Amino acid sequence: MKEKTFIKTRNVILTGVGGQGNVMASRTLAHMLVDAGYVVTIGETFGMSQRGGSVMSHLRISHDSVKSPQIPRGGADVIVGLEPLEALRVLTVYGNPQVCVLYNSRPVYPIGVITGELSYPSGETIRDAFERLSAACWEIDATSVGLRLGNPVLSNIVMIGALSKTGLLPFDRRRFEKEIKKTLSAGKYKVNLKAFDAGADMIK
Amino acid sequence: MIKKPGSQTELKKNVLEQSLCTGCGACVGLCPYQVFYADRTVQLFDCDLPEGKCWAFCPRTPADYDHIKKSLFNMDDLTPEIGAVKGYYFSRAFDPRLRVNVQHGGTVTALLELAMGEGMIDSAVVSSRNEEFEQHGLLVTDQNQLRGYSKSWFTVSPTVAAFNRIPDDRKKRAGVVATPCQATALAKMKTAEIPGYNGSDLPGLVIGLFCGWTLSMEKFYNLLGRYGLSITDLTGMDIPAGKNILELFTAGGLISVPMAEVDHCVRTACRYCMDSTAEFADLSVGAARFGKDCEEMRGWNQIIVRSDRGKHLFELAVAKHVLQIREAPPSALLELKNAAVEKKKKALKNIVEKSHSTKNLLYLKSDDPVVRKYLGVEKKRKGKL
Amino acid sequence: MSKLLSPDRSTVLFLGNEAIARGALEAGIEVATGYPGTPSSEVIESLAGVARERNLYVEWSVIEKVALEVAAAASFAGLRSMAVMKQNGVNVASDFLLHLTASGTRGGVVLVSCEDPGALSSVNEGESRYFASMMEMPLLEPTDFQDAKDITKWAFELSEAIGNVVMLRSVTRMSHASGNVTCGKLPTKRRNAAFEYDGPVMDSQTGPMISTPVMAKHLLRQQKLKDVQRMFDNSPFNRYTGPAKPDLLIITSSACFLYSCEAVEMLGLQKRVGILKLATTWPLPPNLLEKYLRKAKTILIVEEVMAFLEENVKVLASGIAGRVGVKTFFGKYNGALPFAGELNPDIVADALGKILKVKRKSLPADYQTDVQKTAALIPVREQTFCAGCPHRASFWNIHNAIALDGRKGFVCGDIGCYSMAALSPATGYHTMPTLHSMGSGTGLASGFAQLSRFGLDKPILAVCGDSTFYHAVIPALINAQHNRADITFIVLDNAGTAMTGFQPHPGLAVSALKDVVPAVDIAAICKAIGAKVAVSDPFDLASTSRILTSFLADKGSLKVLILRQACALSPEKKGKKAFDVKVDESLCIGEACGCNRLCTRIFRCPALTWDRDTKKAVVDEVICAGCGVCASICPQQAIVKTEVSAPG
Repeated sequence: MKEKTFIKTRNVILTGVGGQGNVMASRTLAHMLVDAGYVVTIGETFGMSQRGGSVMSHLRISHDSVKSPQIPRGGADVIVGLEPLEALRVLTVYGNPQVCVLYNSRPVYPIGVITGELSYPSGETIRDAFERLSAACWEIDATSVGLRLGNPVLSNIVMIGALSKTGLLPFDRRRFEKEIKKTLSAGKYKVNLKAFDAGADMIK
Repeated sequence: MIKKPGSQTELKKNVLEQSLCTGCGACVGLCPYQVFYADRTVQLFDCDLPEGKCWAFCPRTPADYDHIKKSLFNMDDLTPEIGAVKGYYFSRAFDPRLRVNVQHGGTVTALLELAMGEGMIDSAVVSSRNEEFEQHGLLVTDQNQLRGYSKSWFTVSPTVAAFNRIPDDRKKRAGVVATPCQATALAKMKTAEIPGYNGSDLPGLVIGLFCGWTLSMEKFYNLLGRYGLSITDLTGMDIPAGKNILELFTAGGLISVPMAEVDHCVRTACRYCMDSTAEFADLSVGAARFGKDCEEMRGWNQIIVRSDRGKHLFELAVAKHVLQIREAPPSALLELKNAAVEKKKKALKNIVEKSHSTKNLLYLKSDDPVVRKYLGVEKKRKGKL
Repeated sequence: MSKLLSPDRSTVLFLGNEAIARGALEAGIEVATGYPGTPSSEVIESLAGVARERNLYVEWSVIEKVALEVAAAASFAGLRSMAVMKQNGVNVASDFLLHLTASGTRGGVVLVSCEDPGALSSVNEGESRYFASMMEMPLLEPTDFQDAKDITKWAFELSEAIGNVVMLRSVTRMSHASGNVTCGKLPTKRRNAAFEYDGPVMDSQTGPMISTPVMAKHLLRQQKLKDVQRMFDNSPFNRYTGPAKPDLLIITSSACFLYSCEAVEMLGLQKRVGILKLATTWPLPPNLLEKYLRKAKTILIVEEVMAFLEENVKVLASGIAGRVGVKTFFGKYNGALPFAGELNPDIVADALGKILKVKRKSLPADYQTDVQKTAALIPVREQTFCAGCPHRASFWNIHNAIALDGRKGFVCGDIGCYSMAALSPATGYHTMPTLHSMGSGTGLASGFAQLSRFGLDKPILAVCGDSTFYHAVIPALINAQHNRADITFIVLDNAGTAMTGFQPHPGLAVSALKDVVPAVDIAAICKAIGAKVAVSDPFDLASTSRILTSFLADKGSLKVLILRQACALSPEKKGKKAFDVKVDESLCIGEACGCNRLCTRIFRCPALTWDRDTKKAVVDEVICAGCGVCASICPQQAIVKTEVSAPG
């Protein structure tokens, strides 16, 4: 797949639940794009996030200038959800009719749902909402792939692989390979690459 | 039986916070929410189940106790003073070794041993003490071990909690040694109407203990402190008939505490209890006390045979020479009844004082015939003043 | 090679905090200190990572005040140093800071305060900018990542130029945001430390480092600030963008500059609105401001959190009103922008749109309606203790001990992950009703314990984490012991400063530089103070509960229980399960059980969920950390744990 270029700033939101590797995924993505010559701004919310809360990274990819680390309401071009509910939550704030969404289908239940006080929308409801509220959406069972590869947290890389295949952002497998070669040990490198490929294969 | 929308919150509001909790343990061991700790029933976490067994089984939640009595006993046997009576005797264990280290005549232990030996029950819940000298119910499945638990310590034992922990399929084969409040709880278990629950044949046998009151542990410990004692010093306790004292047996000898001092240590809940003879038991056993011959009778029990099952066991005990029997003179029964009536009147007076109304009798129904009988007397007497 | 040491002229994606660290390296820093606190921790973390290579001394100090003192010592000896902390850390350090700004400094010394508008990971959104004006020290506020690096470097030069400490303020959206940074040169020369003190008392380079004579030194400091104003007037870090005659002038600093740019772009107001970005916010550059105040009648001041900039600009503008004319100010005081919480492009655009009567392009109405309907279906995701968190077990024990005791005791809380017990009460089983600054839980407990004589007869408990213990608890504990406070004090020792990312603390035998160092034992300190001390594993519910109930019953003395169990996310535990935990479906009797879903309704572990179809509990293997605690709470013993054998 060839890297595509774009004219205006591209706004990407990666979201999930603390512990899903959201920050790692957004930084990997950003490093690839900086290497490709873009000016990238990431805004992250972590800190309390490891306590099971919602996590969100805003990625702004520009040709020339630093952007606000917070994307305005309704301003996302791409939403990558490591958890379906969180993807939907982000969509309801940052979505617009042109937005493209990739989301991992495996839920992580909020405590209020576990205790029975709240209810988690069905897979069907979530799918319908994404179909209505986005220009394109892909549901990906990334956690199962991660589990198959030995670690559920690899779902974040599965999602990155899938994202590369959609062509929504200017990076490809070669760039990913180069990036993780710098940062990961040989063992982790291999399995991450596998996860990336598995993700890419899931986009038809 | 009246269906009451029970819940942990109501139990808290109507029983625990009203100082009505007898500490019987009926609400403990059914769920992870309620435990018995340091003489108190403690609710660990909130449970929102609308119809809890805790509420249904508690002997201090409102219920039609008259109806329960009538459904469990032969109508002809019922007396207003002491409940059902099929027979009334003085008794003691035949085996002199059994009588050595027991409270009185060893009747309860002898009956339990027999019931277990005959296969009537295969386990018995008795009260035991832990290293902190707090009492708790203990399930004994070995007949030979029953003799270790035959003393009265006059404090509360949440015995019913131990019964609750017996697996359901084995509950009907268990015997329980129960104080009046515990026997009441067990009777409520037998008759409770809860969807998906049937307690009609639970438990296999209830041997009731006569009980005038129990002591609040905290207050009793303070009292012991005033006598320079701690609970660990005691080897036994007794209330001999007619002397108006509590006897404390220690390694250093006998110490007598005047009843007036002991009265201050009585658990508040006991002041609202009408039952001194365990009216819901199959058989009820107490110390024999008769007129002036109290020393002579010290090694004897008095026993009320109440139910068919109780009668069966009692007759077997006599036939097999497990129990030694003396006919009780009619005056003894009269004395027992008078004492029981006094307790009932006093309880009702205390209840009315607490609720400020003869209509609201807390856990009792004002149209219960027994309640009406003794509440009426009370009112009349008051009227005269 | 560490990214932080990227070569000159390379462009790298840096976290704001990494940019600050890089700036310090380019300035030739020798000593860096700090106490962990979000969003500041990565500055020291990344410097520690290159300390050996760059021959730096980096330490995690025990408390911010000491961090600043250690950094000041380096400055007194002529070295360049930096102390890094979060906003409330500046409060803690402020007593020393007051005297430091009075004595003056020698080698460049920078106090970095990373603040948290909106309290994204704090229990306050305190402002430390006012310390700059209060203590008369220069304040710098970078507006983007390149700025963060370059301004940090410059801050050291400025500090040396005026012989005083310089404060650099960042915010979460700068510290925890990332962007492209083009690196500069790393110096090769090193300084030698030398401390001279025999010179005349007013000689800043050779005299004693003291704040007296107070008046003389105070006047000297104010004189220096005048020099600073001149430097700030000419600073390249202050920039104006926009038309020559704007309808409205935005004056802004920090991340708010980026929000302002975005807002102007969103509304298409590039030709009507000018933006003056100020990186030097105290003292304000008077001539620069005069020049730009002349350009517009309407001024909007965009800043977080308080109206520090607005107040100072207004004071300055009123003084020169004769020259620049009367202005209409928009900001916090007139309600255009909120006085609390963080800003974002939307808030700024909304304010700007209102002032200039410009409408933002909105989404189609039917889309908006659908979004609102969908949003109503989304359950909130409450923060909670992680799966496998020792705090859940600790608070379970604490709750049960308090309930058994029956006197309605309560826990005075403190700062750490365990603050969650106060922030989300059900998570802490409703035990912890107070939460303030670090160490204050123990101080409050020490006070509550004195109130029994006035009728407050409850058991008083306090908790703190291991790092917090060293930070600020020890004086409170000594106070409690000395004044006979009957408290049960619990140290939730999870083997690191877990909340901020496992920085070491004095309880561990490892330093920021990963050297082996002496560990300071909490139990030994508490014993030396005179407390009764016990240690337990919170996962062992039975024995922990036994100790706690006996402590609560043991009236009249100070009792300390150290609950020791490493954090589930700690490097030694992460990803390694001690137990495989499963629900035995044949044993779980679901809704028929009298337990009323104790496991999920009350215990609240994210990994233990309720299957609404089978109506039984189920363990989510993806989330479960394998602590096995839930196995001890199920009354049916339906939750089964099997030990995971260690590989090899």
